[in-house]
Amino acid sequence: MADSTPAIELRHTTKRFGDTVALDDVSMVIEPGEFFCLLGPSGCGKTTTLNLIGGFIPMSSGELLIEGRTVTDLPPHKRNVNTVFQNYALFPHMTVAQNVAFGLRMERLPSAEVTRRTGEYLDLVGLAGLSRRLPSEMSGGQQQRVALARALAKRPAVLLLDEPLGALDLKLRKAMQTELSRIHRQVGTTFVFVTHDQDEALSMATRIAIMSGGQVSQVGTPREVYDRPVNRFVADFVGETNFLPGTVSTEGGRQMVVLSGGGRVAAPSGAPEGSATLMVRPESLTLRSSQEPAADACLAGRIVNVAFLGNHTRITVTTSAGDIVAIRPHGTNARPAHPIQELGEEVCVWWPADDAAIIAD
Amino acid sequence: MANRASALDTMPVSPLAQQTRGCLSVVAGATLVFLYLPIVFLVLFSIEPADTPGFPITGITLHWYEKMLADSAIHSALFNSVVVAVVVALIATTIGTMAAFPLVRGGIRFPGAARILFTLPIMIPGVLIGLGLLVFITLLGIKLGLHTVIAGHLVFTTPFVVLIVAARLQGFDRRLEWAAADLGASNRQTLRHIVLPLIAPAIIAGALLSVTLSIDEFVVTFFTIGPQLTLPLYIITQIKFGVTPEVNALATVILVVTLTVFGVGSVLLGTGRRFRRKDAA
Repeated sequence: MADSTPAIELRHTTKRFGDTVALDDVSMVIEPGEFFCLLGPSGCGKTTTLNLIGGFIPMSSGELLIEGRTVTDLPPHKRNVNTVFQNYALFPHMTVAQNVAFGLRMERLPSAEVTRRTGEYLDLVGLAGLSRRLPSEMSGGQQQRVALARALAKRPAVLLLDEPLGALDLKLRKAMQTELSRIHRQVGTTFVFVTHDQDEALSMATRIAIMSGGQVSQVGTPREVYDRPVNRFVADFVGETNFLPGTVSTEGGRQMVVLSGGGRVAAPSGAPEGSATLMVRPESLTLRSSQEPAADACLAGRIVNVAFLGNHTRITVTTSAGDIVAIRPHGTNARPAHPIQELGEEVCVWWPADDAAIIAD
Repeated sequence: MANRASALDTMPVSPLAQQTRGCLSVVAGATLVFLYLPIVFLVLFSIEPADTPGFPITGITLHWYEKMLADSAIHSALFNSVVVAVVVALIATTIGTMAAFPLVRGGIRFPGAARILFTLPIMIPGVLIGLGLLVFITLLGIKLGLHTVIAGHLVFTTPFVVLIVAARLQGFDRRLEWAAADLGASNRQTLRHIVLPLIAPAIIAGALLSVTLSIDEFVVTFFTIGPQLTLPLYIITQIKFGVTPEVNALATVILVVTLTVFGVGSVLLGTGRRFRRKDAA
């Protein structure tokens, strides 16, 4: 990977719309074959980044390289990049096959080759039998596949996807996530995917860039950004997190965090002394009955809400340090004898010290 | 009945509601009869054997249609009308379509004013258009003839094409053009393969409407024509000698042709709408 040419390289890219800075000096390297996800809330600059790569809008300053070639000033069709648009943008007057063939016909490929490749990519997305349908006769999920086949048939170096699953319902979206991952593995093209849905990003991406306010907060694998978020924004945006403000201090040879609202818990190893925010994921928490003798320091509280969510239960505990959310998965082997999840029950919240992390604000 | 009671049923209603509704139905019926009965008569008289039309109808004959077809004056009037209508439709559609693009997509100064200027002739009375053109043409010293009629008809048909095509462009999803560009189509290819096919129903409907408007235009034609006759002018000249069954037959033919063309146009516009509705769904 290290010595290969990056599929995409953004160098100090800035995009201004009038007085607003949509993208602020962003640099980014996307390796060939990656499923790269731009994740962030609306207005964070992720769609702007995609449109810059696609060539639909000019950049204010900076440089863009695709496969090592500077394409900053090239029009979209000279960039070896194709796009799957948010609303699919299928041509309503053409059949599925004609839609897929359109880009190939514009390339003036021989008609036998056009037919062969159209069939190949319709096969890939699982629509081989529906080539004569009109887009209006297909479901949202099928239209999505046509848009995918149409863009992939051009065999681009990079495929750009602009929230392609946004218009689908939850169940279909889950199915399409699996499908997109499969297609990505099969064609091996670099995918750059824009979404505001962290589930989508975590489940499909090889790497995620989390964006906020026109800047990149963190780039990493799904596990890295989930387990080791660099700041509070990332921790908050990716997954659910409990934030506990406090102060790290050494007491009797052990590092402890004295929480602002009262209570003390073991600090994660290597925590610097001083005021800090502790973050801990809901699934790391264990609830103990407050009568049980505790070996470790834990945080006393009372259960104020229990939500049954099918495969897990979400329990909210009010403690002196604020509300803490714990998640108890169902169907695991490690089932406690007496599950604690009664409303109003007095409990003690505990977690392994190293499952928590000190993060910057 | 109770479970069907809706808000309307429980609203306070005038005690005379029933009577009012009855009266309105009578008025509506009378209006429709007044509008359509003369046309029904015209068609009936065109197949009546007697040469002074009147009731009762004594039989059915196609004699007047045969006579009409054999009449060389009608031939030349028909020829003139068709030539004018076809040329008008072609030019009006071309100009109207080209005008619709900047009007909808911008890139021009004073778009509001441009839109009004392009569509205003619909509102201007034919007498004014005709008189104005006549003055203008005389001023330029151009000889009156079919070409001046064509110019006259363009004045009021082009705005209709502009309106119809602009409406279609208004609803056009520009992301389709981005997609085409993304797939490697040039501007010209995008226009040819994506934009024109999708607005074609509106363009054809505009052309057909121009034909129907041009075919039966009397006032503007009367002002701008030379020694020739078009169908409506021919009919007027014949009526000086009383309404002959032959004219009735001719009018019936015009009616059928116009309605057919109009019908085809409506169907085409409908097809266009179906496309768009499904997209939205």
